[in-house]
Amino acid sequence: MTEIKHHAYLFDATRCIDCRACMVACSVENNVDMDKTRIWVAGVGIKGTYPDLQRGTMVYHCMHCNHPDCMSACPVGAYTKVEDGPVTYNPDLCIGCRYCMNACPFGVPHFDYDKGIIDGAFIDKCTFCPQRIYNGQEPACVQTCPTDALEYGDRDELIKKAHERIAAHPDRYIDHVYGEFENGGTSYLILSHIPFSALGLPNLPETPVNEVSEKVMEMTIPFALGWGAVLTGVAAGVGLYNKKQEDKAAIAEKAEAVK
Amino acid sequence: MTKTISRRDFLKLGAASVGALAMGQMLPPKVAQAARAAGTINAEGDGFVHSMCEMCVWRCGLIAKVVDGRVVKLDGNPEHPHSRGNLCPRGQSGLMNTYDPDRVRTPLIRVGKRGEGKFRQASWDEALDLVASKMTAIKNKYGAEAMVFSSTHNLSQPLFENLLYAFGSPNYGTQRSLCFNAMIVANTMTYGMEEPARIYDDKLKYILLTGRNLLEAISTSETHDLIMAIDRGAKVVYLDPRYTKTASKATEWLPIKPGNDLAFHLALLNVIIGEKLYNRSFVEKNTIGFDELKKEVSRYTPEWAAPLTGIPAETIARIAHEFADAAPHALAHNGWRTSNFVNSFHTQRAITILNALMGNWDVVLTEAGGEESGTLGAPAQPAYPRISALRLDGVPWKYPVVPFKIGVFQELRDNIVSGEPYQAHGWFISRQNPIMSLPDRGKTLKAFGKLDFIVTVDIVLNDTAWFSDVVLPEASYLERYDPLMPMGDKVFLRQPVIEPQGEAKSALWIYKQLGARLGLGDYFQYTDEEDYLRQQLAPLGVSLEDVKAKGYAEAPETAHSGESSEKTWNTPSGKIELFSDTLAKVGFSGVPTWDEPPQPDEGQFFLLTGKIATSTQFGTQNNQLLHKYSEEPRLWMNAQTAAELGLATDDWVEVTSEVGQIHTQLLATQAIRPDCVYMTPGYGHLSKGLKTAYGVGANDSAVHVTYTDPISGGQALSQTFVTVKKA
Repeated sequence: MTEIKHHAYLFDATRCIDCRACMVACSVENNVDMDKTRIWVAGVGIKGTYPDLQRGTMVYHCMHCNHPDCMSACPVGAYTKVEDGPVTYNPDLCIGCRYCMNACPFGVPHFDYDKGIIDGAFIDKCTFCPQRIYNGQEPACVQTCPTDALEYGDRDELIKKAHERIAAHPDRYIDHVYGEFENGGTSYLILSHIPFSALGLPNLPETPVNEVSEKVMEMTIPFALGWGAVLTGVAAGVGLYNKKQEDKAAIAEKAEAVK
Repeated sequence: MTKTISRRDFLKLGAASVGALAMGQMLPPKVAQAARAAGTINAEGDGFVHSMCEMCVWRCGLIAKVVDGRVVKLDGNPEHPHSRGNLCPRGQSGLMNTYDPDRVRTPLIRVGKRGEGKFRQASWDEALDLVASKMTAIKNKYGAEAMVFSSTHNLSQPLFENLLYAFGSPNYGTQRSLCFNAMIVANTMTYGMEEPARIYDDKLKYILLTGRNLLEAISTSETHDLIMAIDRGAKVVYLDPRYTKTASKATEWLPIKPGNDLAFHLALLNVIIGEKLYNRSFVEKNTIGFDELKKEVSRYTPEWAAPLTGIPAETIARIAHEFADAAPHALAHNGWRTSNFVNSFHTQRAITILNALMGNWDVVLTEAGGEESGTLGAPAQPAYPRISALRLDGVPWKYPVVPFKIGVFQELRDNIVSGEPYQAHGWFISRQNPIMSLPDRGKTLKAFGKLDFIVTVDIVLNDTAWFSDVVLPEASYLERYDPLMPMGDKVFLRQPVIEPQGEAKSALWIYKQLGARLGLGDYFQYTDEEDYLRQQLAPLGVSLEDVKAKGYAEAPETAHSGESSEKTWNTPSGKIELFSDTLAKVGFSGVPTWDEPPQPDEGQFFLLTGKIATSTQFGTQNNQLLHKYSEEPRLWMNAQTAAELGLATDDWVEVTSEVGQIHTQLLATQAIRPDCVYMTPGYGHLSKGLKTAYGVGANDSAVHVTYTDPISGGQALSQTFVTVKKA
């Protein structure tokens, strides 16, 4: 494997057979509780009317966004976007506010309703298997996939591979690599033969949502200062105006008195 | 990334070091000693051990990660040709079979009535003495043939066979007649081999799958091969009354009417022979009986097959042309079982012959390496005693062409009930679950009622163990050695990754102990499992320690038979037999011939069963990880049909066949023919000793009717017709 500058996954929906080996592998590798999962199988299931049928399946977990909304929403900095790709979560900092759950456009972070604040972890999501990828192994879900529907590698190379696959079979694939640009790019890339919306993926702009929100947020203080200055000015102006009106009235009163 | 250690991590570290301290004060257990000697596990009990999966019979290579003497993760072994680094969901979940809280940890002796589930714990000595004394008493009173033995396709099978043949019983039950007898007998009658290997190379252009749901009935490497062939653009035509996950990836799905796959294939042969689309030079050089075949199939036109199969004549003719155009890079996959009817032998023969006519030998089909290697050693042993008693399963007196090693399991059960030609009195069952595997569960329970003594070897209280008199706890596949498995130019090892749970023991140990008590010690001349393996490895000049470290040893491959032009076949004629004189001599048609399958009555449905990726037969439903990721089993019914009957998804329905009735929930779906219903087999367990599986789903064996293909002895598993109404 070539050196990985940016860890990423490539999922090819045309190859996925919905066998769920990835889900079991993840549960074992990460010792996930029996009533929880970090990988989901989504998608359309069977569509159409017998015998004209179509089936789609998508396996997904954390998209490891380049501009993670969870991180942006987190008030205590429990999320980190690691330089080489993974979005990590630190349960020790988490206060259980669940802002990340609302912020994530993919519905990934899951809240552990069974545990109180004393017990620690509140949110459960894919970790990118750091214990494996930094020891020369593929993530557990990728390693076991019997049909290579899930692949792992450097993001740029996987994007190149995805486009090559589309070019080789333009009749088979939708000409788009989901995650290349969506939400500013994700580290989980998807190829599909059916519309991405049918796989349950949101239609997201290329500009990350949080880039807009963060820009707005960045402007808060200057804006507040500026607005304060304006208001001060207005207040001063109003005061001046009132003063003038009062002076006028006083003059008029005086004039009346003179008459 | 920065790593901070939380309070919880500290607690974990504390617990771990206390554990390590306690362990350190004891002598290291046997597995750990051996693993350290082989260099796979360090002094702390951590490491990676190479072994082999047993969540199905495909046997992928695995690498087990062990921490503190516990297996925490299984990965596929990249060097093993069956796994290539991958494991399916069952393989991934394997450690949960071993750590199943319902494991049987000591030998058990029944104290209540059969089926009450009341057992007491016993020592190995007591249990083995009891089993040996009961078996000896049956042998002395009724003859050795009154003991029935059954076990399913596994690596310790040679030692199981030693036990039964040395004991002197001809009664050997395998599961094969419930699975793929038709395929094996058809290949044997045609090519002189059980099952050729399939080659999925870059040139493969066309794949015809007759009910082979390879994307749900996963054989890891072959499933991968099929997906990659599709990826490269190979055309896949898939016949199945259900829209399975394989159907969804196929180029063309043909929802054929059950029982009529034979008509489809006869029509393909009709077009290919009638229009001379076959490989003439290959056929002339390598086959016999072409003229008889030509004459027979001349009446099976696509127009004739269309109303039977529900597939238009022009589609059948087109597929015949496409297949011939793609040949020899065209594969007609035998499947393991098609829609299984009493005519399935002829279906399998027709598929086999289709390949032969295309001359695709050594292109897409080739001789498979056997599971027995001539290069391995074995302990010395005397010849078996001569056995003159008839077999209860009708081989060969009722089923003349069924091989002895395969047998007709359902017939064996039927003759335990009938007492013909003699009454059986005992049943020794190892790693098999006939109460769930055989059709007509009620009849199997009746057979149990006829027996004086039943003993089962298993890792959990499966349904069969639940109804047994003695249960002997076997070590799981992660806890034991098995005999070596040859594959290609290597022999692979299954070795213990962890210590057995409780007092569980390997089959090699159990059979040897029992053999000694039965006076058959000469058939088990090894001191322990490692000694057995050393004797196997002796001719290779490889040490067991080396094999343990790598998980395999190099072994010269059995010589391949070479170019097809000079090839001779292991058949009576030495050729590929399109016409089989062997079949003709015993009164069967020597060429594939039409045999009209029975039809359901008005208001009845074909009952179909078929595999899913997250279970193997009836042996994995208690695995908590597979349970976690499996869908609730329900009865599939075509949505339109369900609406007409006033039924909706999740309604409870009563499913009735001529032998039984079950209650289950319905799934109204577009993915099935309107005249069929489907249920996932292996659910609806009777044993309350399976706490995860008990109460989940309904049992297919309770409604399956026993019908046997008279030629291959295969159970006609799709020939059960049921009515469905609201419960």
